[in-house]
Amino acid sequence: MKKGSILIVIPAFNEQNNILRVIRDIEESIPEADILVINDCSVDKTSSVARLAEGVKVVDLPCNLGIGGAVQTGFKYAYAQGYQYMVQIDGDGQHIPQEVSKLVAVMQQSGCDMVIGSRFLDIRSYRPPLARRLGIKLFYLLFKVLINTKVTDSTSGFRLYNRKSIEILSRIYPADYPEPDAIVVLKKHGLQIREVGVRMREREHGHSSITAIKSPYYMAKVILSILFSCTRTRW
Amino acid sequence: MVGGNIDKIHLLGIAFSLTILLSVFFLVRERMLKEKYSLVWLLIGLFTLVMSAFENLMDSFSELIGVSYPPSAFFAILIACAYLLLLNMSVSISGLKAHNKALTQELGLTKLRLEELEKKIEKAGL
Repeated sequence: MKKGSILIVIPAFNEQNNILRVIRDIEESIPEADILVINDCSVDKTSSVARLAEGVKVVDLPCNLGIGGAVQTGFKYAYAQGYQYMVQIDGDGQHIPQEVSKLVAVMQQSGCDMVIGSRFLDIRSYRPPLARRLGIKLFYLLFKVLINTKVTDSTSGFRLYNRKSIEILSRIYPADYPEPDAIVVLKKHGLQIREVGVRMREREHGHSSITAIKSPYYMAKVILSILFSCTRTRW
Repeated sequence: MVGGNIDKIHLLGIAFSLTILLSVFFLVRERMLKEKYSLVWLLIGLFTLVMSAFENLMDSFSELIGVSYPPSAFFAILIACAYLLLLNMSVSISGLKAHNKALTQELGLTKLRLEELEKKIEKAGL
């Protein structure tokens, strides 16, 4: 891929222990990519640690927006700077930069607008806990019924977007738990979505944002917003 | 009003309604309350004023909708108004959140641009 055509966006909230390793990893496996860290108002040294890496740009958000608002900042930047492609790689080190080439290959081959890196199309991937898997299965059925699309890992944030999807998502991106909903948004705009199996790591530091108490809320919120997105005719 | 023989509770109601109406009036005048939001409060104030001033009105109204105990009808209407008002507030908060998000993102991106610009200027030795 040409230099200056692909932007890697790393949303990060209190990831001072992971962020630099994630950046080094990306620099090594995708040297042609530009890197943008979105520091979502971390209370630790995420921003200054990320700045240790030469050439990496860091956006410090003045208020905590949550993952949706942070990633959307990346879409806005990518759109304004004219990038053709954008990849989201989470700041916790879960996503493996070497796997980006798989996403790129699928997009080039199929001409689709977004490629999702799925944990479930590849048995070597780590398996999330049962509750999460059940939730993802439910989303799978919902997507099949509602938008006639098979998505095995709709909560995965490890994605490659082309300019068309960047443009749309820079305007409309759900706030709280955006990944499943974004699929509906793109689908409703007539865009093509593909999936490819990728490896993912289990996180080493920190905890998942979705705790046991929050997960029923997560499910309800995501299902509701998917349903609303499906009924929406004006954006 | 029946021959000037007004109940204490109705007097209280009238006083309360007037307080609401006057407060809203002054709050808007001092720009502490937007005209947009004053409308619904003025309507509630007027409604309670009319209902307390003319007690027969409440009786005939509750008879009309088939409620045997007039104060219940009064409370029901007030609760309905409160719900609408709360919905109105939730809509306003959602709007504020959306604006807030957009501003936060813009500010973050602008800070980055400024930083880049400062670096360039420094490099050029200006």
